[in-house]
Amino acid sequence: MSKFLIVAKKDFHSYFHSWVGVLIFTVFFLIAGIFFSLLVISYGKITAEVAQNALQNVQGMKLTHFICGSFFLNLGVVMMFLAPLMSMRVLSEERKNETLELLFTYPLSDIDIVWGKYLGMLYFFAVLTLPTLVYIGLLMWLGANLDWGSIVAGYIGYGLLGMSFLSLGLFMSSLTQSQIVSAILSFGVLVILWAMDWIAGIAQGGWAHLFATLSPLGHYREFALGIFDLSHILYFCFFCFYFLFLTVRSIERRNWKG
Amino acid sequence: MANDKASPRVLEPEAPVMVRMEKVGKKFGSIEALSNVSFQIRKGEILGLLGPNGAGKTTAMRILSGYFPPTEGKVWMFEEELFKNPRETKRHIGYLPESIRLYEDLRVGEFLSFVAQVKSVARSERKKDLEHKLEICGLGHVRNRLIGQLSKGHKQRVGLAQALIGEPDILLFDEPTSGLDPKQITEIRMLIRELGRERTLILSTHILPEVSMVCDRVLIINKGRVVASGTTEELGAGLQTSHAIYLTMAERHRKDEAIQLLKTIPGVERVHVTEETGDRLTFSIQVSKELELRPEITRLFVQHQIPILEVRFGRMSLEEIFLKIVVDENTTKENP
Repeated sequence: MSKFLIVAKKDFHSYFHSWVGVLIFTVFFLIAGIFFSLLVISYGKITAEVAQNALQNVQGMKLTHFICGSFFLNLGVVMMFLAPLMSMRVLSEERKNETLELLFTYPLSDIDIVWGKYLGMLYFFAVLTLPTLVYIGLLMWLGANLDWGSIVAGYIGYGLLGMSFLSLGLFMSSLTQSQIVSAILSFGVLVILWAMDWIAGIAQGGWAHLFATLSPLGHYREFALGIFDLSHILYFCFFCFYFLFLTVRSIERRNWKG
Repeated sequence: MANDKASPRVLEPEAPVMVRMEKVGKKFGSIEALSNVSFQIRKGEILGLLGPNGAGKTTAMRILSGYFPPTEGKVWMFEEELFKNPRETKRHIGYLPESIRLYEDLRVGEFLSFVAQVKSVARSERKKDLEHKLEICGLGHVRNRLIGQLSKGHKQRVGLAQALIGEPDILLFDEPTSGLDPKQITEIRMLIRELGRERTLILSTHILPEVSMVCDRVLIINKGRVVASGTTEELGAGLQTSHAIYLTMAERHRKDEAIQLLKTIPGVERVHVTEETGDRLTFSIQVSKELELRPEITRLFVQHQIPILEVRFGRMSLEEIFLKIVVDENTTKENP
C-alpha cells in the first residue's frame, strides 16, 4: 500500500474518533434533505400553476434542471460552510499537538503527508456526498423522467468544487496551530472567491471577465446546469494543485524556523 | 587502565560505521544552532549527546532523524546520504523525540499498527513485530486503551515502542527518561543498554549519571559546537596532566608539615592546595603513574598524628568533566 494511503486511512478514521465527523455528516444530510424537499414541493407547485393557467410556453421547463440544478447550487453553498469545518483540524491540530514532528521523522515524504491528509478529507467528503444519491433515487421512485447526463455533470462539478474548497482549507490549516483561525481564514477566502461572481456582474469589460474566471461559482454553475466543459475542469484542477503545492511549501517551513 | 565499571562493553574494533556527521551546521535565520559538528558511530555503540540547555542537542537529533536537513555539511547513515533519499533512509531510524506527543485519539495498538505500516513492515511480520514491541515495552495490558488516557510513563513507553517498530538499526532517543518515576527510569535504562548491544544508539540527555551508566562514548556540545568527545575515561585523562589523589585533612595549621611529608613519598610529583575551609584543608597530589599511594599516605599521616578526613583517587566524575569543559569554554569565549 502506498504511504499516502496509510496516512489517508488514519486521517479518515480520526473523523469518527471525535463526534465532529458524525456531526458534520448529520448536519449535511439534514440540510441537503431540507433543500431537496423544498425544491420538490416548489416544483410541484409551479407545475400545478402551469397546468391551471394552461401556460404552454413553460412546459419545456425540465424537472432535472429545476430540481437537480438548484439542488447542486445549494449544496455548493453548504460546502462553503462545511469545507472549513472539515479541514480546520487536519494540519493545525497536528501542529498544536506536535504529532506532525513524528510524521516528519517516519519514512514519509512531505508530499506523502500532504497528499495523504488531503485524500483522508476526500474520503470523508465522499461519505458525505453518497447519501444524496438517496434523494435522486427518490425522484426516480416517484416516476420522474431524469436527464442522467445533467445529474452526472452536476456530481462531477460538485466533486470538483469540494476538492477545491478542501485543498484551500488544507492550506489554511497548515498556516496556524489554531483550528478556529484556520476555519475563519478558509471561510473568509471562500466567501471572497464566491463574491467575485457578483463583482463580475457589476464590473464591465475585461474586469468582468477576469472576476468571472476567478470565481469558482461561475464554473460550478455550468456543471449544475448540466453543462460539461473541459475549461471548467481545468480551472478546478489548477485550483486544487495550486493549494496543495502551497501546503507542501508551507510545511517545509520547519527547515528554517526551528 | 583500571575500569571499575561492572561489565565493560567490548566493541568490535572493525564494526561498521553506522552514522557519520560531516561538518554539519544548521542556521535558523541569523541564529546558528549548530556549526561544524563532525562525529561517527560504529555499530553496537551507545553515544551520549551532552550539553547544557539550548546547546543544540535537539537540533542535532532532529537532523539525524531526518526532520530537517542541515544548512551545511552531510549526514551519512550506513553508506547512504540521509537527505539524498530521506524517504528510504529514514526506515533505518527509530526516533524518540523529547517529550513525545502522540495521537491521543488513537488506541495504543491502532497507533503502533499505523507506525508499522508507515515504516513498511511486511504484512506477515507486522503482527509479530507489534506483539514483540508491546511486550518489551510493557504495554500489553494497555493496548486497547486510548493513548490520551495513559499516564506519562506509559506514553513514554508507547513513544519507545514506536521508535523500535520495524527493527531500525539506528536509534535516537532524546531525553528518554524525562518525567518518569525512578522505577521506570531504571527499567528504561536497562532496556536502552539491552538495545544498544546490537544497534547503534544516540542518547541525548542532560542527566549526567545516565550517560556514565549507559553510554560508551560521550559527545559534549556547547553553543552548537562539539567541545569534547571520547569515553568518560578519555575525557577525564585529557583534562588531567597526570593522575591525582585528593586528600582532605583537619588541623589546617599543620599545612607545611603535611606538604613536606607528602613530598617524601616516592612517585609524588606535585602537591598543591585546592581548598581551605575552616579547619579543613584539601590537597591535590599529582602522581606520575596511577600508583596506589593511599596506604602509604595514610600510614605516614597516622605516624605523624595528622587527622585524615578523606583520601580518594582523583578520577574526575563526568559531572566535573562536563562542568569543567562547558564552564572553561564559556569563560574563554567571554574573555578572549
